[in-house]
Amino acid sequence: MVRDVAFGQYFPGKSLVHRLDPRAKILMFIAYIVIIFCTFNYAALAITSAFTALFLILSEISPKFYFKSLKVIIFIVLFTSLLNLFYGSGDPIWQWWVFKITYNGIHRAVFVTVRIISLILASSCLTFTTSPTELTDAIERLMRPLKLIRFPVHEVAMMMSLALRFVPTLLEETDKIMQAQKARGADMESGNLFKRVKALIPVLIPLFVSAFRRAYDVATAMECRCYRGGAGRTRMKQIHMTRRDVISFIVLALVIGGVILCNIFVNWSI
Amino acid sequence: MSFISIRNVFFSYDEVEEGKVVQNAVDGVSLDIESGEFVAVIGHNGCGKSTLAKHLNAMLLPDSGSVMIDGDDTSVEEKTFDIREKVGLVLQNPDNQLVAGIVEEDVAFGPENLGVEPAEIRRRVDKALKAVDMYEYRGHAPHKLSGGQKQRVAIAGILAIQPQCIVLDEPTAMLDPSGREEVISTLLKLNRERKLTVVLITHFMDEAVLADRVVVMDGGKILTQGTPQEVFSQVELLKAHRLDVPQSADLAYRLRGCGLKIDKIPLTQEECVAMLEEAMR
Repeated sequence: MVRDVAFGQYFPGKSLVHRLDPRAKILMFIAYIVIIFCTFNYAALAITSAFTALFLILSEISPKFYFKSLKVIIFIVLFTSLLNLFYGSGDPIWQWWVFKITYNGIHRAVFVTVRIISLILASSCLTFTTSPTELTDAIERLMRPLKLIRFPVHEVAMMMSLALRFVPTLLEETDKIMQAQKARGADMESGNLFKRVKALIPVLIPLFVSAFRRAYDVATAMECRCYRGGAGRTRMKQIHMTRRDVISFIVLALVIGGVILCNIFVNWSI
Repeated sequence: MSFISIRNVFFSYDEVEEGKVVQNAVDGVSLDIESGEFVAVIGHNGCGKSTLAKHLNAMLLPDSGSVMIDGDDTSVEEKTFDIREKVGLVLQNPDNQLVAGIVEEDVAFGPENLGVEPAEIRRRVDKALKAVDMYEYRGHAPHKLSGGQKQRVAIAGILAIQPQCIVLDEPTAMLDPSGREEVISTLLKLNRERKLTVVLITHFMDEAVLADRVVVMDGGKILTQGTPQEVFSQVELLKAHRLDVPQSADLAYRLRGCGLKIDKIPLTQEECVAMLEEAMR
């Protein structure tokens, strides 16, 4: 059950998106987040959606996995879009008790839904196509200037890469512990929310204990393999910016330009 | 001088306090291991064999006595990483030894720590993965592999450091029989073809039989050592210390007890069959 979570997994491949420099991917991702929240009309929204679709197709990853990652947030999407639907300004076109729907509300709901979905799809696309090591390596490189203010860049990057590496292992373990507790008669599927949360305690405690034990083991194994912090460390996979990265930056720049132009010249905005 | 030379080592996990009896995990062990040897250390849980293994690459330092690796004392702090480069330690749980999300990146972890050039790391990683027959799996995520495969990747991770000796602390304890077979045959191959020194800590007697030399530990001390033939012929001694003997040795021992004349205790299934044929005639 918990193993179905696709978010944050990596699927090895050789697609164009896989081969982009991870630094480029992270920077583009950040710029993309900013730009999808700066879309104020449908033309701009169409441009960013087309860009999202382009990357999803180029990533050559089965749409099945993207749907899976969306499944997790479906409630958040529904909740926020309903909230936006009922709180629009302007003349109501339908009203019942305190709920009223306006055209403005409908537009807002559409925008917020598309934005959240784009956000999740883009972050899935990033983690699906970038191995945890590449990702943390890139973060380490991008954060390098922070070393000047004594920020432990290497340590943070190493912690992140270990955390990502152990996500599937800990999920597997959670599954096992849940089954073990169910076999002992634990009931996790009935009762109200409060009861269900309480039923998770016998799962979380063993999980924590074993995670600490595991951490101790991992530290030992790392020491056995001559780990001594970031100083003097080299990397097998060198990351280089290539023409591919430049081209994708240009495409992104066009998208940003397009969104800005739409915002200026289209006379309608929410 | 031997490659590994352990002299009168004592070690305790307890704090040393006045008037308190200290339980020694390793209690006066002396042992020499030559380069190119395949040594199995056996004993049941808590006999000090894992503690001894951690002394071989300076993960633990002796309370008294000394451990010398290729002429270097493990207690000299500046030599710690030289020693870990010479002696690699593989642990029991394969999941907790793999630190990267991709097999080849994990194998690269050791040489990366040593500051090896990227092209050389690539060469070492490919070589190490081929040595353990996991080259085809280089792009896989570790959590999708079987236990035996994970453990072979862990071995490759150590091989990429290019040690002269590899110490394995019960590497097969968490594996199924086929995983066990994979790991042990990999070790035998590495020892025979690359002259790698192997120290295998185990509680499976069938694995110990394959070694050049068997060291039996109990209560932190070395009980006996010798070739598998010498060690497993002492069935009474092993049984008195609640240790198993290989099935065929046990059978021969019992038959001998029934009055059958058996000169040589068989260790493997083939030897056992030969012995039975001999006895039936």
